[in-house]
Amino acid sequence: MRCAASALGYDLPMKKQIAIVEDEPALRENYAAALARHGYSVKTYSNRRTAMQAFQLHLPDLAIIDISLEEEAEGGFDLCRDLRALSAELPIIFLTARDSELDAVSGLRLGADDFLTKDVSLPHLAARVAALFRRIDALKRPENAAEIVRRGALTIDGEKMQTTWNGGPVALSLTEFWIVHALAKNPGHVKNRQQLMDAANVVLDDNTITSHIKRVRRKFQQVEPSFDAIQTVYGMGYRWVE
Amino acid sequence: MSIRLQLLIVALTTLVLPWAGCQYARELETALRDSQEQSLLASAGTIANALSAQPQRVFPDPEESVKFSPEQGDLYVYPLRNQPLLDGYQEDWDIAASPTELPSTTRYAARAQAGSTERYLYLYVEVDDRHFDPEPANPNPEHDRFDRLDITFRTPDGALKTYFFGTAAPGLIAAQTLVKAQQPPLPDPTAPAAASPPAAASAPAAASPQTGASPGVAAPPEPDRVVEEPRIQAYWLQTSAGYRVEARIPLSFLRTRLWIQAHDGRGSGTAGASAAQEPDGGRLYFTTAGLGDLLGTFVRDGTRATVVDANELKLGTAGNLSANLAGQSEDAAEVWYRRFMTVDTSKFPFYSPSADRLTGNSVQAALAGNAHAEWVRAARGREPLLTAAAPIMVNGRTRGAVFLEQAGDQLLALRDRAVTRLFDLTLLATAAAVALMFGLATWISLRIGRLRTAADSAVGKDGRIRLEMPESASADEIGALSRGFERLLGRLNEHAQYLRTLGGKLSHELRTPLTIVRSSLDNLESEGLGDDQRRYVTRAREGASRLQSILSALGAAARVEESIKQAERVPVDLRDLLSSAVAGYRDGFPQVQFALDLPPMSCPIRGAPDLIVQLLDKLIENAVDFCPPGGTITVRLGLVEGCYVLEVLNDGPPIPEALLGRLFESLFEQREGRDDKPHFGLGLYIVRLVAEFHGGTAVAANRPDGSGAVFSVTLALI
Repeated sequence: MRCAASALGYDLPMKKQIAIVEDEPALRENYAAALARHGYSVKTYSNRRTAMQAFQLHLPDLAIIDISLEEEAEGGFDLCRDLRALSAELPIIFLTARDSELDAVSGLRLGADDFLTKDVSLPHLAARVAALFRRIDALKRPENAAEIVRRGALTIDGEKMQTTWNGGPVALSLTEFWIVHALAKNPGHVKNRQQLMDAANVVLDDNTITSHIKRVRRKFQQVEPSFDAIQTVYGMGYRWVE
Repeated sequence: MSIRLQLLIVALTTLVLPWAGCQYARELETALRDSQEQSLLASAGTIANALSAQPQRVFPDPEESVKFSPEQGDLYVYPLRNQPLLDGYQEDWDIAASPTELPSTTRYAARAQAGSTERYLYLYVEVDDRHFDPEPANPNPEHDRFDRLDITFRTPDGALKTYFFGTAAPGLIAAQTLVKAQQPPLPDPTAPAAASPPAAASAPAAASPQTGASPGVAAPPEPDRVVEEPRIQAYWLQTSAGYRVEARIPLSFLRTRLWIQAHDGRGSGTAGASAAQEPDGGRLYFTTAGLGDLLGTFVRDGTRATVVDANELKLGTAGNLSANLAGQSEDAAEVWYRRFMTVDTSKFPFYSPSADRLTGNSVQAALAGNAHAEWVRAARGREPLLTAAAPIMVNGRTRGAVFLEQAGDQLLALRDRAVTRLFDLTLLATAAAVALMFGLATWISLRIGRLRTAADSAVGKDGRIRLEMPESASADEIGALSRGFERLLGRLNEHAQYLRTLGGKLSHELRTPLTIVRSSLDNLESEGLGDDQRRYVTRAREGASRLQSILSALGAAARVEESIKQAERVPVDLRDLLSSAVAGYRDGFPQVQFALDLPPMSCPIRGAPDLIVQLLDKLIENAVDFCPPGGTITVRLGLVEGCYVLEVLNDGPPIPEALLGRLFESLFEQREGRDDKPHFGLGLYIVRLVAEFHGGTAVAANRPDGSGAVFSVTLALI
């Protein structure tokens, strides 16, 4: 299978290129191997300096960055900022052992498209990567009505993974997108935390789900101050109300 | 024993100062006594020597020294300071001695005493004669029987002269004498018989002033007659016990011999001696005139000098004992101190001076020829006296002694003044030391107490450590101790901090290697495995997955604390929140019953609903774990003292008493749950954190009947 995949990868002329910046060699190689198996061309870097040198010569199609890089405890954040300065569209995923709320918020605020903890399994990671690419590809293609969910003012484009409220874009991270998607797909149904985690393909604890919900509400409220479509059902979970 | 008590006892040891003062005072007193003894002895010697040189001024009869014998009717003549009244009472003689018994061969008893002023000899005689036999008119002592007192003395020219006192009625009388008709030169009064009564004018009223022209021999014609001698007067006083005669005889009438004899009118006996019976007796021992003045030149105030003859009879006295140097009245304190410092005087011999003679070791030693000094006691409880005596040698023979007395209280006064001062000062010092030490001890124990209280409460119930200790700014040992405590607490705090963050750090640090394992397993699976290999990979994945859930539980505490910090307060109705949550639990845990007990009104609170729900989740999860299938879990909300009280009661085993207080600690897990899930006790820790965030507390207890547990949480209304 490996032979087949690599054969397939080498044969394709427009292979997506993924950069992994991770200081832990074993992990780096594991990620690289898994992604290569999924048909991506993977370049690995162990620190910010070598990664940045390479990025200045040639930008990858997607970057997966760890926050702490060798001796720089927050080197990933700096790298993300620099990378975002080079390209506004480049999808960036933080993949880190740090799971604090603060780190997630900082990462997303710096322009990362998703923030994953290292608890995520390789298939999940691959799915995330694929989803991000899909989103980018979809942006370039016409809308596919079948993938679009409309709930009142809310419009969710499952293809492009875009969310709008009354036509205005709501900038959700991938995890947040899937949470909203899971809730809005069946309005009125209560989704408990586990279901939301499954939907987002992440392993999170209850608190993290709670803070994700909180953040989602805030993002909608920036567009529509009176937003209250996501309701807490105490002791059970959340549901979408129209 | 508290520090205060210990220091108080130490302070009391300063009482040794006054004690030492007492010892010193005692030694001082002994030394002073010795020196006083020496000096008094020296004085006595000096005076004795001076007197030896002029014996004629000391002894009435420088040549003669006859033994004094009262049995022979010898009488000591007390020097009288004042002229006594002739009234039959001896009290105004001012002599501290009672009359001496007159020798008597019969039952008839009489006592006599003699005294002299410059011009007169006074006699006082008491006769125990209950029956008064009055003198008849014209008495003749030789024939008539009546109560009679005979006085015989030798006149300066050597003749014997006899007078008698008798009266028909008590009162002032004059002496009478019998004049014989013939001229036998020696009238013998020793055989008094009944006589024809010659007239005797003894009317008291007519007696005293008329000392007319009838002394001596008057009229020859009558054979025997009684003649009055108006210059010898007496007062006859009749008492219930007998009679008393106080008589006055001019000194010029007599020399040193005088006999007294009392006769009973009924003939029952006589008392006293007559010249015929005791020709060698009846001596009068006079004091030496002018000796007092002579002695007075030798002695100072506070010393009394007495010269005695070989019979120990006083010849003269000068000086005054009572001159007290201290003078001022002794206050109570002095007397009080004295108890602790007086030299033991109880072994000093008693000294009881009589008015006529001196006794004691000193005088006896002196009369034996040796000077001697001695401390004596006048009476029990009185200050001791120092006595010293030195012999007066005349022509190589001891004729008498000089006896000096000095009051010990001069010494005492001297000592008291010094010692009282010492005592006062040391007592003051002791009191000050005690007060100071007591104060210091109180202060120190107060500070230590503060430190102890702070140390006791340094580690709070929630495990937080208070780093500040009182007294840490002080420079002394307590300050050092306090700083030591602070350092210790600091280290403890670091350690506690380390332990608190250990879970988070561990979960963080282990996450990367765990991810390596899991991603490697993922990759391995993608390589296409045989069935056997796949089985092992699956097991490895299960292990890794369990490891991961443990790690995320470990890190959860830190995440919860962080999310609580960021929580926002919004108005919530607790009642609605509880009812909706419990509806959810009914779906989620069908194996147990849920009972809901809510107040009728709405229960608004400003809080974080997510956190409250989380709190409730943890309490319910915990209750479900221990509730047997089909058991009931009761959720109750109440309002007590301005707080909401949320209680979750579950059926099931009671919680062991020892665990009750610790259940809400972080990572504390003792209870065995029913499932296989790892329990790190974070649930109840989160409950506590949430309750504290809402200004409340979390408490676990057992139901009184032991049928289950009660977890109650208070939430402040705000």
